[in-house]
Amino acid sequence: MSEGIGARVTRKEDKRFITGHGRYTDDIVEQNQTYAAFVRSPHAHAEILSIDRDAAKAMPGVIDVLDGKQLTGDGIGNIICGWTVNSKDGTPMAMGAWSALATQYVRYVGDAVVIVVAETQDQAREAAEAVVIDYKELPAVVSAVEALQDGAPQLHPEAPNNQIFDWEIGDEAPTDEAIAGAAHVVEMDFTNNRLSPNPMEPRSAIATYNAIEEHYTLYTTSQNPHVARLILSAFYQVAPEHKLRVIAPDVGGGFGSKIYVYPEEIACLWASMKTNGSVKWTSDRTEAFLTDAHGRDHVSTAKIGFDKDYKIVGLKVDTIANLGAYMSLFSSATPTYLYATLLSGQYNIANIHANVCTVYTNTVPVDAYRGAGRPEASFLIERLIETSARQLGISPVELRRKNFVTEFPHQTPVIMAYDTGDFEAHLSDAMKAADWDGIAARKAEAESRGKLRGIGMSCYIEACGIAPSAAVGSLGAGVGLWESAEVRVNPVGTIEILTGSHSHGQGHETTFAQLVCDRFGLPIDNVQVIHGDTDKVQFGMGTYGSRSGAVGMSAIAKALDKVEAKAKKIAAHLMEADEGDIVIENGEVKVAGTDKVLGWHEVCLAAYMAHNLPEGMEPGLKEGAFYDPANFTFPSGTYICEVEVDPETGTTDIVQFTAVDDFGVIINPMIVEGQVHGGLAQGIGQAMLEHAIYDDNGQLLTASYMDYCMPRADNLPSFTIGHTTTACPSNPLGIKGCGEAGAIGSPPAIINAITDAIGNNNLSMPATPQKVWAAYNAASTKQAAE
Amino acid sequence: MTTINMTVNGKAVSGEVEDRTLLVEFIREGLRLTGTHVGCDTSQCGACVVHVDGKAIKSCTMLAVQADGTNVVTIEGLANGADLHPVQAAFKENHGLQCGFCTPGMIMSAADMIERYDGKLDEATIRAELEGNICRCTGYHNIVKSIQAAADEMSKSA
Amino acid sequence: MDIGGEYLVPASREIVWEMLNDPEVLAQCIPGCEELEATAEDEFTAKVVLKIGPVKAKFSGVVTLSDKVHPESYRLSGEGKGGIAGFAKGGANIRLEESGSDTKLTYEVDVQVGGKIAQLGSRLIASTSKKLASKFFITFCEVAQTRVSA
Repeated sequence: MSEGIGARVTRKEDKRFITGHGRYTDDIVEQNQTYAAFVRSPHAHAEILSIDRDAAKAMPGVIDVLDGKQLTGDGIGNIICGWTVNSKDGTPMAMGAWSALATQYVRYVGDAVVIVVAETQDQAREAAEAVVIDYKELPAVVSAVEALQDGAPQLHPEAPNNQIFDWEIGDEAPTDEAIAGAAHVVEMDFTNNRLSPNPMEPRSAIATYNAIEEHYTLYTTSQNPHVARLILSAFYQVAPEHKLRVIAPDVGGGFGSKIYVYPEEIACLWASMKTNGSVKWTSDRTEAFLTDAHGRDHVSTAKIGFDKDYKIVGLKVDTIANLGAYMSLFSSATPTYLYATLLSGQYNIANIHANVCTVYTNTVPVDAYRGAGRPEASFLIERLIETSARQLGISPVELRRKNFVTEFPHQTPVIMAYDTGDFEAHLSDAMKAADWDGIAARKAEAESRGKLRGIGMSCYIEACGIAPSAAVGSLGAGVGLWESAEVRVNPVGTIEILTGSHSHGQGHETTFAQLVCDRFGLPIDNVQVIHGDTDKVQFGMGTYGSRSGAVGMSAIAKALDKVEAKAKKIAAHLMEADEGDIVIENGEVKVAGTDKVLGWHEVCLAAYMAHNLPEGMEPGLKEGAFYDPANFTFPSGTYICEVEVDPETGTTDIVQFTAVDDFGVIINPMIVEGQVHGGLAQGIGQAMLEHAIYDDNGQLLTASYMDYCMPRADNLPSFTIGHTTTACPSNPLGIKGCGEAGAIGSPPAIINAITDAIGNNNLSMPATPQKVWAAYNAASTKQAAE
Repeated sequence: MTTINMTVNGKAVSGEVEDRTLLVEFIREGLRLTGTHVGCDTSQCGACVVHVDGKAIKSCTMLAVQADGTNVVTIEGLANGADLHPVQAAFKENHGLQCGFCTPGMIMSAADMIERYDGKLDEATIRAELEGNICRCTGYHNIVKSIQAAADEMSKSA
Repeated sequence: MDIGGEYLVPASREIVWEMLNDPEVLAQCIPGCEELEATAEDEFTAKVVLKIGPVKAKFSGVVTLSDKVHPESYRLSGEGKGGIAGFAKGGANIRLEESGSDTKLTYEVDVQVGGKIAQLGSRLIASTSKKLASKFFITFCEVAQTRVSA
């Protein structure tokens, strides 16, 4: 089937994007549209002494100027973290109060204090300047390590010492014992640099209140509109769910940052009711840097023990994670269940213990960003393995091979049960593709040009499609992580798929249609994929954690099963055949072994005409399904990076990057490769370019593209991509997920390559030319002295 | 307020703008041509690139009044009716876009780039020329491929 | 960030000290100062226009003189709000030593900014502060010159 599973078909959605007819939130203008601007704290930590709104209210075009006391006074609830994680002593996590508009204290630069609504955007912004807020500045702390120290400024009365929870996983005593008895022990410190997600479309919201119906409509840049509606309704009490429609139209990238319900959406909804109209807000880029949830920001120490044969006997990790000023929606799960559970990597490790302490600081909240916890885990284990190999004087390839998990299922000591994989397969494929064995000659050739060439690898494993719901519920999740789908067959045989997944660049309109094509042999042009509107789609958990394929498409497959079964019953009845003999292919419904055949559209029409249906059968052909996966899925792969460093300047060029992944069954290789390319770029960004930096007073120094280094085209190479396949046994399609792998697997490969080139293992991310130059010189000075 | 006149996508348009109104604001809000996007506030992302008198410019860096009397082409006016411009076709064919937000600016920049280099482009040049356009989704791999393919196609047919 | 320097002011230490305590002189020397009014002993309200990188803003705030040791040293500090542009605060610790008939003035400047100025102009704070400090003291020397020759 040319358009079915495995076909490299171009995207159905592209036409509107390449012609400028995409419809993003900011492109929409409602009737009598009014505009909001937020007055934000310029201080990282301060008490609000007074707010004077009078001058602003008198400005031209201003409709209203509203503050946090009015918001809480109207019963709008505090913003919550949706995943409960307790400390190891059983104490519940210390969630500090977070109002959409600050009432008494501001806790990070950018914290929203006042919303101004005016007739034009310029008027709103001008009036925002006229709001006078008197602050009493308080001392601020931006580093998680410092925030835990005695005497540090305190953020929330609910969280003494700024500690949110002190959590552990695995058994400490046996791990300590194993490492104490190890033949070789290697220790390392790690900093996982703080990042700003930066989808190219800034966040935007349009909230419209209909006073007659007491009904709200919210257009928003969301990865999960149903979850947004649920939270806005159940927790923030903006409106009951049936009185709130949330639409996420075309969304220009998310990378995790558009999972969360932010203060601005809540404030716009509330302001639309207060002003009885439609309120629109669009973030500018600086606001995005200040207020979009950041990613990563871990500080860790790790210790690994090997026996005399270099088998790993134990791994101990201690991590401090910065969660910023407030707990964002999934902030508690990211550095715990999405991080420490992956510390076993691709290796058979009998004893693992990890301690994770999460901390408040006067910085924007930190939450899931592409990879969410798994990049931090893979960076730690893959840097540690590589460095161990170098210190122990054995080949990093051999050290990995000796310790690979080779039998499945494999239960790790940190919850995860790997269901399938073939780590040797992608390792050897990647080594071949990257000509790993030929590196010595390339190093010599580079040296003759005065350059330092290095090679490094990373063998990552990650977990996607967080589920099953009962299991994540037992770990504290406030929602179930299933997905829903509806397949609506029209009387003429065309099909609408309504999915709870949300596409913001992933190409669902194409890949989801390919499933239908694969099943019934219909051209993908006959299939329409509908998503992102709570009035249309029954429910959905949205798109994050690389779950749309493994979970979202599995729900569609289940609904297709039901449609297929009913269509076959109808066809069997019409053709007086046995239901078991009916096959559907190439758009035809046939009785196997006979020449009896009906067009797919004829069966569909019969279902709707209902003139001649099997007895007792309801008319119509439309089925829904909810799919709850049996397990996480476990994509894995081997990434090899080769770099050339200029020793004079520290400038590093990636000369080759090879990625071989096992994503299970692939629906559309073109789209999957695109996902890998994008993930790699973000991983390379983290490893070499990007760093969100606050100064000691809590001012964000990297708040524009002048100071935050986004990967540009000439920072990146063209990539070499390959695939190996072990089908995922836990879902009907065998899919594992591909959205985050590139960002998870690449940073350690890059740092392993650069450290190989410069001969110094002590190099932190981002490996800027300055840092690489300093590390190289430190190493060569040391060498000269010895 | 100043009255401005220009040709946009082949049609004569006019409007009343404030002195501070940016060309991109006039295009998006005044003309409701929302294919031209705003992705930053420091003239770096390139999502707002349009052609003014045949040259690619960042429409967030030009005042609407400066564009008075010019001939502007936006992403909506690049195709010839139902026939896609070769750059548009190449982006679709080579999966040169994902979320689509940077895409209009990328395509407008690419069309200008191909024109300036008379279709003679190699990978290094394309990458260097894309300095002013940021994409967060594609890792640029397929964007570079798309532009190369369009350049080859256009120099073949030229 | 801390920036420092020294100037040889062509006037006696007593005159320099007087000048440093004269609001008129301060208003003349503070770059971009549009208004400086005494509200209390050693305390003034001020309006100052500053441009840092791409951000130009009018700051209204308070200037205070403190830690006075006649005629050797004091601290000149200011704190201003620039609306949506953010805030700036900082000061200069100034010391005077006699140097023949002239006076050696040494200073250390500390600056902190917040809000939009920090977000867009943080790279330029050091160089801008340096420039503003030297503007202040160059004007100050010129004023001293005219005072002495007058």
